[in-house]
Amino acid sequence: MTPRLRIGLLGLAGLCLLPAIWKVAAALPPFGEPTAQYGPAVNRLGPELRHVSNMVSAVNFDFRGFDTLGEEFMLVCAVTGAAMLLRGARGEDLSARAGRVEGRAVIGRAESTILISRLFGPATLLFGLYMALHATVTPGGGFQGGVVIASGLLLTYLGEGYRGWRQLIGSRVLDAIEGGGALLFALAGFAPMAFGRAYMQNILPLGTFKDVFSGGLMLVENAGVALAVTGGFAMLFLEFMEETRALESESGG
Amino acid sequence: MSVLPWLVAAWLFGIGLYGIASSRSFIHLIGCLSVCQSSTYVLLLGIGYRWGAVAPVFYDHPPGTPAVDPVVQALVLTDIVVGATVTALLLAMALQVDRKYGELDPQKLRPLVAKARR
Amino acid sequence: MNWPLDLVPLPVAIPLAVAAAMLAVSHFLPTRLPDVLATLTALAVAAICTVLARQSQLHGVLTYWFGGWAPRPGVVLGIGFGVDPASAGFAAFIGLLFAAILVFAWGYFDETHAHFHVLMLLFLAAMVGFCLTRDLFNLFVWFEVMSVAAFALTAYQLEMPSLAGALNFTVTNSLASFMMLGGVGLVYARAGVLDFQALGHAVARDGPDPVTTGAFCLLAAALMIKAAILPFHFWLSDAHAVAPSPVSVIFSGAMVGLGLFALAKLAFQVFAGSAEVHALTHGLLMALGAATAVVGGLMTRAQRHLKRMLAFSTITHLGIMLTGLAALSATGLAGLFAYLVGHGLVKGALFMLVGVLLAERASVDELGLYGLGRGLAPAGAAMALGGLLLGGAPWGVLDAGTRLVADAGSSAAGRWVAGAVVFGTALTGATVLRATGRIFLGLGPEPDPEEAASPSQEEQEKADRPLWLMLAPCLLLLALALTPGDLAKRFAAESVGPFAPVLAGSTAALAHTGRATMLSWMSVALAVAVAAFDLGRAHLPRPLLAAVDALSRPLFLVLGELHSGLVGDYVVWIAVGLACFSIYLAFG
Repeated sequence: MTPRLRIGLLGLAGLCLLPAIWKVAAALPPFGEPTAQYGPAVNRLGPELRHVSNMVSAVNFDFRGFDTLGEEFMLVCAVTGAAMLLRGARGEDLSARAGRVEGRAVIGRAESTILISRLFGPATLLFGLYMALHATVTPGGGFQGGVVIASGLLLTYLGEGYRGWRQLIGSRVLDAIEGGGALLFALAGFAPMAFGRAYMQNILPLGTFKDVFSGGLMLVENAGVALAVTGGFAMLFLEFMEETRALESESGG
Repeated sequence: MSVLPWLVAAWLFGIGLYGIASSRSFIHLIGCLSVCQSSTYVLLLGIGYRWGAVAPVFYDHPPGTPAVDPVVQALVLTDIVVGATVTALLLAMALQVDRKYGELDPQKLRPLVAKARR
Repeated sequence: MNWPLDLVPLPVAIPLAVAAAMLAVSHFLPTRLPDVLATLTALAVAAICTVLARQSQLHGVLTYWFGGWAPRPGVVLGIGFGVDPASAGFAAFIGLLFAAILVFAWGYFDETHAHFHVLMLLFLAAMVGFCLTRDLFNLFVWFEVMSVAAFALTAYQLEMPSLAGALNFTVTNSLASFMMLGGVGLVYARAGVLDFQALGHAVARDGPDPVTTGAFCLLAAALMIKAAILPFHFWLSDAHAVAPSPVSVIFSGAMVGLGLFALAKLAFQVFAGSAEVHALTHGLLMALGAATAVVGGLMTRAQRHLKRMLAFSTITHLGIMLTGLAALSATGLAGLFAYLVGHGLVKGALFMLVGVLLAERASVDELGLYGLGRGLAPAGAAMALGGLLLGGAPWGVLDAGTRLVADAGSSAAGRWVAGAVVFGTALTGATVLRATGRIFLGLGPEPDPEEAASPSQEEQEKADRPLWLMLAPCLLLLALALTPGDLAKRFAAESVGPFAPVLAGSTAALAHTGRATMLSWMSVALAVAVAAFDLGRAHLPRPLLAAVDALSRPLFLVLGELHSGLVGDYVVWIAVGLACFSIYLAFG
């Protein structure tokens, strides 16, 4: 189809959909006045049944922990796929060592960049760790904390330079962290079955409300997620960075 | 006012589709896909919101304070992280296309010459 | 402890755990270990699901609540799995298909350090979870995991066609995920609960409601994108053509069928109480299914790339399956079940045969392979059998499904549905038979060298696997496809009640359906006739050829132009499809 025909058809389809969209929007509960009962039930029952104050984490790791297991593995799929694509083109075993670009001068990094990165890199790592650990108490959790930790690793790259950074992290370690985190989550689900309970049932001591170590099995699952997300995102950063190091292909456009 | 979030969600999805249909660069297309995804976030989070309610974290407020719906927030949270990784997968594919053929225009990228037998 | 309920989470949890473990130690695993582990896991999943199917047949639907969150009065807090014979049976079939593929692909993916096997196991876990779940957001999660694993697997070969096909696949299916999430959001906003049974009660109680209907439209559109129904079907031929053969087997054999399986679950368990949804399904979906069958059949005929040919054939059969679903009757549902399994087995076997041809003869082009199949007699015989079965031969599971579906469609909407079914079936069978004749028997006019040059990228798949290793799973699938039709029909009929409680009363009518063998022989005869026409062109009178070409050439030209391979076009067609829903609801 020519571009004009395509956009014309899209516009026509949009026009046909407008009345339907309006009808549905008008029939939905007004914004700010929801009628769903699931959420309020969780808010009501969560603190007393599970001794946690972060209801979102409670839903993620307890009430609907099985969903989170699926989402976790979706992340593993995407990272594995991206890594397989990028490594496959470069050659599987080359990412153990840092790549180099021939004939390109190494641009020096400004002193201020190095200083700020070295200050904020570890601070970000610490903050990410804090966020991941306090999953059940304050806003945060494995997903969010894992991403922040991975971003801290990027700051470390700015501070140390590519070679130094690659000496810190290797792709095999990251594979192990990612797989290990996902495995921890899956096994945390199996553990209750050994005691005759349901998969992923919260059987560990629940701790006291507002304490860091509240929530029982949620903390184990959360740790698994944090590890897997950190490993996954760090692996993505590493693979994409390696792409900038690979030699330009001969054929080009 | 009370239907605005739903209309915004519909608009985001529509404009994202327009972006994909008219795109001349795969990187731009992937960004438009993210716009489409954000429409679902607006819809879900809008469904959970309650006037005058606090976040569903009972650290500073005692349990029992009216709070917004935590279920949709949990759904969206995991989805955002996963959306980032799927975007990474798409970008890796786009990178490979560019690397091999120097061409990133979706309007020139065809899987196979679908030649009819007759 | 708690037999058989304790088995329920295992078919999903075991592949997930094994995949995670393999990923963690991927660099230290000896070469063949991932193959062995993955195959054993797939077999274990198939075995457990078979046991679950049997148990649910004996004791009724098994319900399992994750995290121990059994429903409380008034609210369902947790995620449940509902194991009925149909769901567990289909999951067992998927496990078996995966085991067959992993044997077929033994040694194919050595360079990836077990990453291929990790992705395949995650794919398997997602598909089983998709079958067994009774929670709407959980359904969405497994839908997405399935999609992402498929995206990664399609892009494996890294050549330009693979990447373009993978990109089209990823963009269209991601849009499907977004639409599904939108539908889930709308349902949640109205009903406030995510469990199928609770939702069914809520929908029945609330009465006609634009939000519920809108949610169904979004969910149905998303599932129809996955199930490659017109006008959402464009991505399948691209993805199939470029994915490695083992992966193509899974796509056609199980993944696309799951879209329709989930649509059936939604139609019968969640939205059964909505009259508007009922009318929409009966009317629009029936029409779309028939249109898919017709267009798919025509496009199949026009292909010379074997994988693309089989992809369009899958699209045709999916259209036929949708007509069975859209009839919203016990006959149609039983037909859908039988057809899903029968088609999956036959199509899986055919894709494996294409893989064999790729490995042994390094080509996937029908004209390029002219006469080259001569040393591969068992493969030729298998392909001919597959072609006959696709064309409607009255043997086995697929035929049982076809009869039930044709019957259901005719009762619901009229004879023209059966006509569309016969048309689609005959054309796909004819094309496969034509390809078999050309490749293995050297029939038909010898293509001139220019024509024989493949228009598509040179393809090759790993050639050093033993032939018997590749043929054995293929022949196993064909043998299973030849299971007596009556047996398949009985199992399908018994599965309807637990799957769709609303239909529980009408399963008695199934006893004497199955339109006469006449329909089957008609479509086989038509298939053979069309194949003979194509192969014997040189011997036919000119005026006849000219007349047929004058009619068909413009048609194929237009269809070919529409299937452009550009992702922008596909996205516009998705919007057009959504608009069809809107127009039907306004005027239908």
